[in-house]
Amino acid sequence: MTLFRYTAFVTLLVGAGCSGSKPASEKQFFVAFSQCNNAEPYRAAQNALMTKVFGDTGGVKLVIADGQQDNSKQVAQVETFIRQKPDLLIVAPNERAALTAIMGQAMEAKIHVICLERDILQPSYTTYIHSDNVAIGRMAGQFIVDALTKKYGKPKGNVVQMRGLLGVEGEISRNSGARELFDKNPEIKIVAEPVADWIQAKAKDRMTEVLRAQPSIDVVYGHNDPMAIGAYLAAKELGRDKDMIFVGVDGLGGPAGGIKKVMDGVLAATFVYPLCVDKAVEIALNMLRDPAFKPDKEYSLPSTMVTASNAAQMYRQFTVPGQQ
Amino acid sequence: MILLNLREFRSILGLVGILILAIAFSPAAADGSRIFLQPGNLTDILRQISVIGIIALAMTYVILTAGIDLSVGSILALSTSVTAMILTRASSSSYSQHIIVAILAALAISTAAGALNGAVIALLDIQPFVVTLASMIGIRGLAKWLTGNANIDIGFGRDVAAAFAAIVRQKIVVIGSYLALAVMFWIVLSRTVFGRHVRAIGDNELAGRYTGLPIRSIKIWVYSLSGLLSGFAGVLYAAENHQGNPNAGVAYELDAIAAVVIGGTRLAGGKGSIPGTIVGALTIGVLTNMLRLNNVDSNVEMMIKAVIIVLAVAVQRQRIAE
Amino acid sequence: MDLLHAENINKHYGGVSALRGAHFTLRAGEVHALMGENGAGKSTLAKIIAGSVQADTGTILVDGKPAAISSPLDAQRFGIGIIYQELDLFPHLSVGENIVIGNLRFREGRFVRFQKVESFCRPFLEQVGLDCPTSQTSGTLSIGQMQLLAIARALSMNARVILMDEPTSSLFDDSVERLFRLIADLKRRGVSIVYVSHKMNEIFRICDRVTVLRDGETIGTRVIAETGAGELIRMMVGRELKTSAARPEIQPSGEIILCVVNLSTNKLHDVSFELHRGEVLGIAGLVGSGRSELGAALFGVDPRVGGAIHLKRKLVAPRSPREAIELGVGLLPEDRKLQGLMMQMSVIENSTLAVLNRLQSLGFIRSSRETAEVKPLFDDLALKCSSYGASAGSLSGGNQQKVLLAKCLLANPDVLFLDDPTRGIDVGAKEDIYRIIAKLAAGGKAVIFVSSELPELLRCCDRILVLKEGRVTATYDSAAATQEKIMAAAS
Repeated sequence: MTLFRYTAFVTLLVGAGCSGSKPASEKQFFVAFSQCNNAEPYRAAQNALMTKVFGDTGGVKLVIADGQQDNSKQVAQVETFIRQKPDLLIVAPNERAALTAIMGQAMEAKIHVICLERDILQPSYTTYIHSDNVAIGRMAGQFIVDALTKKYGKPKGNVVQMRGLLGVEGEISRNSGARELFDKNPEIKIVAEPVADWIQAKAKDRMTEVLRAQPSIDVVYGHNDPMAIGAYLAAKELGRDKDMIFVGVDGLGGPAGGIKKVMDGVLAATFVYPLCVDKAVEIALNMLRDPAFKPDKEYSLPSTMVTASNAAQMYRQFTVPGQQ
Repeated sequence: MILLNLREFRSILGLVGILILAIAFSPAAADGSRIFLQPGNLTDILRQISVIGIIALAMTYVILTAGIDLSVGSILALSTSVTAMILTRASSSSYSQHIIVAILAALAISTAAGALNGAVIALLDIQPFVVTLASMIGIRGLAKWLTGNANIDIGFGRDVAAAFAAIVRQKIVVIGSYLALAVMFWIVLSRTVFGRHVRAIGDNELAGRYTGLPIRSIKIWVYSLSGLLSGFAGVLYAAENHQGNPNAGVAYELDAIAAVVIGGTRLAGGKGSIPGTIVGALTIGVLTNMLRLNNVDSNVEMMIKAVIIVLAVAVQRQRIAE
Repeated sequence: MDLLHAENINKHYGGVSALRGAHFTLRAGEVHALMGENGAGKSTLAKIIAGSVQADTGTILVDGKPAAISSPLDAQRFGIGIIYQELDLFPHLSVGENIVIGNLRFREGRFVRFQKVESFCRPFLEQVGLDCPTSQTSGTLSIGQMQLLAIARALSMNARVILMDEPTSSLFDDSVERLFRLIADLKRRGVSIVYVSHKMNEIFRICDRVTVLRDGETIGTRVIAETGAGELIRMMVGRELKTSAARPEIQPSGEIILCVVNLSTNKLHDVSFELHRGEVLGIAGLVGSGRSELGAALFGVDPRVGGAIHLKRKLVAPRSPREAIELGVGLLPEDRKLQGLMMQMSVIENSTLAVLNRLQSLGFIRSSRETAEVKPLFDDLALKCSSYGASAGSLSGGNQQKVLLAKCLLANPDVLFLDDPTRGIDVGAKEDIYRIIAKLAAGGKAVIFVSSELPELLRCCDRILVLKEGRVTATYDSAAATQEKIMAAAS
């Protein structure tokens, strides 16, 4: 290929890629959203909802960058966003320590920052919108205590905790909240705590190992739905799925989400982990339209328990049309 | 002295081409200037390529000997972990002593890992691909084991760890170290006996043996340097990201190899240069920045990068074949 | 009608013209030599006819009809085969596999049946005199045997035209005889041979016509019976070339510098000889007789199993080339591409590679010292290259050999082992090498000269050692030796 043809091809290629995004017109606001990892279903749902709500409102150009679970990449993406001087920056940080400094830089550049769902080491943001994971942990713990009491007449049994990325606040809190309940009932034992990084396939592998080591398991508490489902699949393969119940967290709508799994009888319960997007968009629009608006430093959103009794209704409520 | 051979010239042309495109496609700032050309953005690019760029310097040497090092990302992870672990441990020594000990320890363990790679490759005569693939897995396991598979956060308070991060993460420190290391590695490769030996054994190892070159010691040195620079990159990473992270650096070896290859170094060994590698790193950095400024979807960005990497190498190869 | 006619062939690489309007005609059933100095374009022309290189412009006619040859497979279909000087075999595959792969004459089903391979290949292997199992890995054959395998392969493709590029460069007299009988046999069957070679005596022996190329142009075609070596040389170099006289009668100084007693390795058995300062000792023998292995043993490449080596009256046992170089032994390896040169590095980088230690200070190479070191040597060797920074791969064979020789000499060895130093290089360069060898000997060095060309050995050496199957069978003073005697001792 001659140098000329190569140059022409590259220019066309790059031009095609770059022309896909049109610059914000005069009346549009430019909102930049740095998402930590599009590959997680929870985050894909966040992206879908945010795109839909901003789209319905109109007047906003939304750009979403995917950090692909790499700290350096996300930091670089936020860095480049800062150069573009967006009207608003929303960040869902991959890991707490890594993103703190760059979000501080954004604040210094006089850009409003919404910290979404996960926190950072310092309050270098305009507002932090999240759900109370400790409360969720407590609710899950309580549900498990009640379920075991129903099974044995008193609160005792063997619990397996399937854990996500250990450096994330959600993981730490869902663990500590549940443990408050377990500590009050010493006959409830945690027999294994494998780490599956929020991923269903890894959870299935870890659960298979646990099943071989543990003859008697009553409850599997997956700190997110995909992991709980992965554990279920492992148990089903070995024919032990009827011996135990599976509890998850996230409660996404749609055919692949946790609510449907409760309806199908795979999960005994799940806890809706709000996407936080509705609130984020509400606060964002307030900030964009009214420069004098001062949001709270922190917004905590409540969760709802989903069991067989209310699953169908929750499903209708939480399923966005066209959602995966 | 600055002998630009045919390959390097082509890779510089590639970089210039991408630069022109980046400027042309650059969105405008509020005051009408091109965002791409803002000094802040340009130094951003330099900072963003520094970690991979440093690893790529030593990777150039490794590839010149017709070898490869797949374990650099894992060594980086180990280095960040060791750095953060030592910094967050209580100690009565002064801040500067504490920081120096942490950095030296990280560099030492990284160099040792590299030397182990080199020793197995040179003394047991096993293919570098296989050896460094194994150590890629093993060293990451070591990092995870040392940290209990958890991150070690470096806070923003007044402790020694925060002081370390504040100093080392500055743009000037990061970019300055990259440039300093680049100059050193350039001079060693082009003007020293060692540098010439490196190229020779990659060009024709059998002939090198017949010439009486110390092939085994050269290989051990080259992989040790790779470990050392991966460790250095890890120290910078720890400061930039405020954490020791045993899961850091995944797939960094591929980015480093891409920079080396775009810069004109042959994977089969014997031909290549440091300036070429720097041009390769810059090309990727500018390209990525241009696509991000234009808000190109991340996945489309990856596809475009893949095509450009292959094209960049194809153009250079065509010309040489003539 | 002519069997093959190539007309107005032009080919250039980058800015260099390899062929300019060259033409060539081949009749059926003739052996036609293609001669010229290195760089004259004969290999390029042969490759164009064989389809592995595409000409820029020009036409090729086969049996009078235009033939589009754009790949070796096309050439195979037209019945054209080629045997390269730098053999193109697959060293990790077996003998049988090398012959049948890509061979249009071998009908392959879904599965390869080894019996079928064996029965297909055996007749051709016998024709060339290669006695080895078809399952043997071809990389384990010696260079001479590999060449026979390449010829067998071409024969198995039932070629009507076989181009041979320096085919006897690694064959010894009896294999050469067998090849000539083969060529005569093919000629009787109507197959034509294009014989690219430097060897005047062979060309005058077996060829019918000869075409001479110079600087990419066809100078002329002659009938062998009507011309002489002098005219051909004049056509090749454009001037008369005076060959220097045979080796003057210089008595070796008598001081024994190398004494080998009952040396045994994997391939050598009880080899003993003495070498004096100022002496040129020739080593003759068939392919596989242990000539290169002797060099490997002296140079620390092959481990010693028995016997002793005394260098300058001290017992030595070099275990690596580095030790050998330090002891004062130098080796010019047989295969300059594989064992000798770094093709991508420059001329000067290649030649100083073994002695960088004395050209450096604090680890940095002093380029002025480097240039000063090599310049007198390159001038003495009459090295021709565009600059010292030119890559070794861009040089002609003869100049590459000179670079390698310079590399050996810079290390200042007392004993120099030259393994087939004139293989595949042109007339002018050969003369240079002979001159240098004589000069080295006159300067007090001891030279061991391995060669497959007996006239060369008789001309340059004081004594000739004959090896057969790893043993010394005879030693002759060159004045008393004849080709027949040496041949007898070698077989």
